[in-house]
Amino acid sequence: MEANELISTVQSLEPAATLRDKVDRPAMSVPKESVPALMRRLRDEPALSFDMLCAHTAIDWHNENRIELVYQLYSTKHRHYLAVFVSLLRDMPVVTSVSDVWRIAEWQEREVYDMFGVLYRSHPDLRRILLDDDWKGFPLRKDYKDEFMLEAPK
Amino acid sequence: MGLITEKLPGIIEPVPGGSVLLSSMDAVINWARSNSLWPLTFGTSCCAIEVMMASGAARHDLARFGAEVTRPSPRQADLLVIAGTIVRKMAPRLKLLYEQMAEPRYVIATGSCAISGGPFIYNNYSTVRGADEIIPVDVYVPGCPPRPEGFFYGILQLQRLIREGESIRRPGERRKPVLAALPAGITLDQIQAELRELLESKAQVKLGASATAGRG
Repeated sequence: MEANELISTVQSLEPAATLRDKVDRPAMSVPKESVPALMRRLRDEPALSFDMLCAHTAIDWHNENRIELVYQLYSTKHRHYLAVFVSLLRDMPVVTSVSDVWRIAEWQEREVYDMFGVLYRSHPDLRRILLDDDWKGFPLRKDYKDEFMLEAPK
Repeated sequence: MGLITEKLPGIIEPVPGGSVLLSSMDAVINWARSNSLWPLTFGTSCCAIEVMMASGAARHDLARFGAEVTRPSPRQADLLVIAGTIVRKMAPRLKLLYEQMAEPRYVIATGSCAISGGPFIYNNYSTVRGADEIIPVDVYVPGCPPRPEGFFYGILQLQRLIREGESIRRPGERRKPVLAALPAGITLDQIQAELRELLESKAQVKLGASATAGRG
């Protein structure tokens, strides 16, 4: 599907979705309440059929006190891409899991939890995946510090 | 090897002048050891592509130096080439692998990450700042990653270290050739002055005689 057509289709599914600028692929910001339902429709709608979650990660905008989730979607049927952005409060980053839409999200969400501390509602097994189980803190947050880390000299 | 390293020192040692024979035995054993290094295939990041794959492949051919028999088991290897970043989660495994290797065992650290942590030294929660924080390292090969030629130079230095710095009378003890050759009571200024003199004397290269002039 062409980019314009794709964007208008997504906006007809979720009117609150806004287009992001300065991107080279279609990218939409959606409110966090719409995540599980919208994601399921993106997958099931025949014209869209995003059957693959290529990557799920997060960005820590610590100056603006928010964490932004990124879902990179791909359709193996139509061969088109879509990036979905969800903004969360940094102090209380809670969102509903999409692991029942795409199975791979189970591990990708575990990694985002491991590194950024995002909590996923109704995730089957939310625990650390890369770091040790007794690790304190979330190291990819910009204000993370521990006693092992070495500060760069000014 | 078992007979020579275990029985022979005991037989030869009490005899006057025995150490002469023993020194020549050292030379034979060290020659054999230095030319049959069996590396462990231990690559944790991009250095492994240069060091394990490019060096072992036909174009560069690690077999020329007798070190091509890479082993996937530490029990069969005597050279641990640390090719890549060592993270805190990997550190206990690296130590375990090192301890599983039979003696005599040698360690080469290749690339910035294995030497000092490299680009990940600051503001990083995971990377160990140099493999020598975990296990002793014999030879460091700088680069990011080093070229196969650089790695071969490291192998040759290790062979030199084995040939000159070891004795079967002191197993596990190793002298690094450069430091061992340094006489006592030398200051940094003397070394710098001598180096400058050396560099200035070698500043001109005669192309005709370059084949032999580089050795020394």
